[in-house]
Amino acid sequence: MKRFFVELYAYREMLKSLVRKDLKTRYKGSFLGFLWTFINPLMQLAIYALIFPYLMRVDEKNYAMFLFVALLPWLFFSTSLQTSTDCIVENYNLVKKIYFPRQVLPLSVATGGLVNYIYGLVIVLIGLIVAGIPLTWNILFLPLLLLILYMTVSGFCLMFSAMNVYIRDLEHIDNIVTMAWFYATPIVYPLTMLPDWLQKILLLNPMTPLVQGFRNVIYYGMAPHWGEIGIAAIEAVVIFTLGVLIFNKLEPGFAEEI
Amino acid sequence: MIDVIGVSKKFKRYHDKATTLKERLLMLRSSKSDTFLALENINLHIDQGETVGLIGHNGSGKSTLLKLITKIIYPTEGKITTKGRVSSLLELGAGFHPDFTGRENIYINASIFGLSKKEIDKKLDSIIAFSELEGFIDSPIRTYSSGMYIRLAFAVAVHVEPQILLMDEILAVGDANFQKKCINKIKEFKKQGITIVFVSHNMEDVYQICDRVVWLDHGHIKAIGNTKEIGEQYLAAMAQNEGDN
Repeated sequence: MKRFFVELYAYREMLKSLVRKDLKTRYKGSFLGFLWTFINPLMQLAIYALIFPYLMRVDEKNYAMFLFVALLPWLFFSTSLQTSTDCIVENYNLVKKIYFPRQVLPLSVATGGLVNYIYGLVIVLIGLIVAGIPLTWNILFLPLLLLILYMTVSGFCLMFSAMNVYIRDLEHIDNIVTMAWFYATPIVYPLTMLPDWLQKILLLNPMTPLVQGFRNVIYYGMAPHWGEIGIAAIEAVVIFTLGVLIFNKLEPGFAEEI
Repeated sequence: MIDVIGVSKKFKRYHDKATTLKERLLMLRSSKSDTFLALENINLHIDQGETVGLIGHNGSGKSTLLKLITKIIYPTEGKITTKGRVSSLLELGAGFHPDFTGRENIYINASIFGLSKKEIDKKLDSIIAFSELEGFIDSPIRTYSSGMYIRLAFAVAVHVEPQILLMDEILAVGDANFQKKCINKIKEFKKQGITIVFVSHNMEDVYQICDRVVWLDHGHIKAIGNTKEIGEQYLAAMAQNEGDN
């Protein structure tokens, strides 16, 4: 366990350069280039914001922003998960030929997602100004929420990337699971819309308190619900620890199994 | 210092491997496999500062041994201990991206070898000088010829400053001039007291730089010792084999 972090620290420059490389090459060759980082979530936002008010009654003055502040952390979570799943298999030429701490690969995906989220905040800020929603001091809790989310995402990335080396179905299972997960998280709807018993169940989903937290501090300008965030933090630690343990267990076989 | 104690490595050879869940659950594909013993009970001690050549026919286990020492794969039995930063030149230009400039790729490649930004900053000029690519260093490397590509990759690799350097047949690249430069660099490493394990089929290179050779044959150590002596035995055995066929 200790070695995991010592080696990670020694190879921090590799982590950084992989993140940089990914951000720089993601939209290489496309006409709009880096702008896609912003256009993608914006388009998704536009589609959801147009469709969902028709599908269900949501009494939100500013549904688009209500949705957007929750959608961005969700996209960070789901895209990182999907990208990381095949990150070790995809980099087989590195894994088979060179020694480096393999955890750098999934963690660079998670970190890239984090950086992308932070870029996305620029649009959130513009949106808030346009919609006339004031920021409050509670926005200062945002880094804390991000840290918990980053830990959760990293844990899942470690788990999925390692397991996918042995069971390639994960790439496909991923898609289905994240789709279901999306609706099991109060992103397009407020949690309070659901019956009590269902709310309690959804709160066990680590993404629920986090998404609620992001919405509270950015959209409502309130402090996060500390009880819920506490649960999310504990879950994050458990998921991350589990991720490290599973990864360490499976890592020795990577070069042979790919 | 490298200590290889009682190391064996088995590989599973699947005839038809199940990689998906369905196949695994329904046993659609036979997961029948036989094991293939790539190395058996290898004992080897290499001192700090020694240069050791690994020779042997194809499939004798040379590369497997190097991969075990680098910790890309792990032994089935036995133990390997190393002291100092191990750098392996099994693959040149790892992580190179064609759209990035030579300079950017130096940073990516060197970081994969575990160098920090500060270390790379310090060595950048020397790397560029060694590669002789001063005029092209800010062009994307997709514009490079394969020779230039290798030169850049090798330049980074020799600047990693490991305590243990593992090399697998990389001198086969580049023109005569560049090869000479590489040999000189290796001799320089020797002077600095770096431990080197060197795999090559070119006995001339082995004679030139190795203090000792290890002859691997079908996963066993057939002989260890004086470079010239064992090199000649090996060449004789190879020649005889050829005669037999």
